[in-house]
Amino acid sequence: MEIEVILKFLVLIVGFYMAWNIGANDVSNAMGTSVGSGALTLRRAVLVAALLEFSGAFFVGANVSETMQRGLIDTDMFITEPLILILGMCAALLGTSIWLQIASYFGWPVSTTHAIVGAILGFGGLIGGIDAIQWGEIGSIALSWVISPIVSAVISYLIFSILQRNILYAMNPTEATKKFIPLLVFIVFSTFTLSLIFNGLQNLNFSITFSEALGASIAIGIAASAIAHLLVRRIPLPEIDNRPPSRYLPQTVVSLEKAIKHLQRVQVASFDATHEKVGHLLDEVRELSNKMRQETSFTERTSEYRSVEKMFVYLQILSACFVAFAHGANDVANAIGPVAAVLDVIKNGIISDVATIPSWLLAFGGLGIVVGLATWGWRVIETIGKKITELTPTRGFCAEFGAATTILIASKLGLPISTTHCLVGAVLGVGLARGMRALNLNMLRDILLSWIITIPASAAMSILLFYALHAIFIG
Amino acid sequence: MAIDSLNEVILMLNIARLFGKSPFAPLQSHMKKVALCIERLADIFNALSKMDLEKIDKLVADLSRMEHEADLTKNDIRNHLPKSLFLPIDRAHFLEILSVQDSIADKAEDIGILLTLRPLEDFRNFTEDLIAFFRKNELAFLDAKQIIEEIDELLESSFGGIEAEKVKSMVEQTAYKEHEADKMRQVLMKQLFTHGEGLSTPAFFLWMRLIEEVGAISHLSERLANRIRMILELK
Repeated sequence: MEIEVILKFLVLIVGFYMAWNIGANDVSNAMGTSVGSGALTLRRAVLVAALLEFSGAFFVGANVSETMQRGLIDTDMFITEPLILILGMCAALLGTSIWLQIASYFGWPVSTTHAIVGAILGFGGLIGGIDAIQWGEIGSIALSWVISPIVSAVISYLIFSILQRNILYAMNPTEATKKFIPLLVFIVFSTFTLSLIFNGLQNLNFSITFSEALGASIAIGIAASAIAHLLVRRIPLPEIDNRPPSRYLPQTVVSLEKAIKHLQRVQVASFDATHEKVGHLLDEVRELSNKMRQETSFTERTSEYRSVEKMFVYLQILSACFVAFAHGANDVANAIGPVAAVLDVIKNGIISDVATIPSWLLAFGGLGIVVGLATWGWRVIETIGKKITELTPTRGFCAEFGAATTILIASKLGLPISTTHCLVGAVLGVGLARGMRALNLNMLRDILLSWIITIPASAAMSILLFYALHAIFIG
Repeated sequence: MAIDSLNEVILMLNIARLFGKSPFAPLQSHMKKVALCIERLADIFNALSKMDLEKIDKLVADLSRMEHEADLTKNDIRNHLPKSLFLPIDRAHFLEILSVQDSIADKAEDIGILLTLRPLEDFRNFTEDLIAFFRKNELAFLDAKQIIEEIDELLESSFGGIEAEKVKSMVEQTAYKEHEADKMRQVLMKQLFTHGEGLSTPAFFLWMRLIEEVGAISHLSERLANRIRMILELK
């Protein structure tokens, strides 16, 4: 029993270190932009991120953790020798940590998720042979790695296109934003609540059906959007002063221009007397349009985009929280999935049939992330906050919403995916909708490379460590 | 590892790396350099009104240097331009805008050089008319320059909405100024051909070239404005 107590502590420490690593490095992606735009102070950002990472891990973390625990390799192969499985999982965790250190030294954009999956596969394939690996599950995980950035890109592309059409292209952007914000708040809150309470509260011994969860989420979404409506109502529309007010609103002139466009179409399609008549009409309307244009001031109103961005600063806090929650839900598994497998074996002596992740272990992983955030991650948030200025609040909101939704869906499906890659996909999506100044193509190449390199590298690392641990504990 | 270098390392892992080098700020700084060339050309015309030949020579040398500086900026932009998929506007449109800006600086230099070739023979106060003609062209250029300065706001609005409408009206403004400059050019040309008989051939030819080249400034400014109009998302 002595050796198993040592192993239990070893695996807990290594798992905590992994969680620390995740909290230290990855959380910054979500919160950096909000700190940079001045929407949140650093202290508040860290507090909010800690709270949401923890609840994400605690309430939704179980699904992916179960995949990590027994979905990757066939644990039945180790029924006769549970100690081998324990050593293997320890080796996988240690191998991943070491590989991540090496990768970050060279600045490669590797993903914690890919590394841990590679490591578990490495030792599993070595010990159990090719049959020990659950290829079906691996196939769907690999597919999700390709699909998830694309899905985030599509979602953020769509959301940004909707914002473009309804707010940025509007003739009165501030007013449009005020109308639109409650809807966005509703969407964010109800998605968030649904993922939280559906299948999420079982850790508190409280479970509800899907329809109940859906009803509750919609209710909470409506309540939140009502509050948002009351809040934005107090924001005054920008005053157009200092200059004589223009006699017509810009949108009136635009309406007239549309009339001209339609008249032109009629003119092209008609002939003889009608053609001539439309021609006269066109001349008249054109003259009127020019006159109205001179009495309309477009100039002052363009400053409205600034007030739109100011309002979106607050929405972006919401979406950043959403990302933090989703991140906790998906990435906590990287640290505690293998730990859960080991603890299961130690506790029962054999491998149990039903995969369960104890609540305290989820809390333990969440705590590791929070500690990582508090001891190291805040520095990264601060630095990133200064660096990302390209992501204005409207763009940031769309990207974060797209990424967080994708990550949450994947978490619910028990698929371990890379948060960073989803965010990258989402930012690209906004960029393709003409939302960014310029994007860097090299990032895509780096991501592809990281897929190709990370899995064999961390697999090799875990195999080496497995032999080392084997020599120490078994001889 | 020191804290700073570790921070650097982590930064590299981050989405901050996603953002390419934006070509819009360099485009605006190129425009500023072009505007300096036009400003220097205005100084040259001031010197011309006093027939200060020495000063003209000095200013033209200065102008040549400025044009070269603008060229360097232009080449730098071309070398670092991301692929079109990763730019909010079409790559071809962007390069076209840059090349029109470049032609304006080239024109300014050409005009300066024409003025150093030989002392301009004044007749019927033609020098004054030419300077007035230049001022008209300069106005069209200043309008186009203002449009380039709007690019930040245009990006903010994703090239649509009231900002696009505003830029559209600025484009129309530029086109109107170009039209006015054209009318003036016609008058000048007519006078040159009616009363230019007493001039020597080189002097006549120099006058003609000057009118043409100065008029090109407003033409190019209008073309620049229209290129910007092409990237607008107008409904």
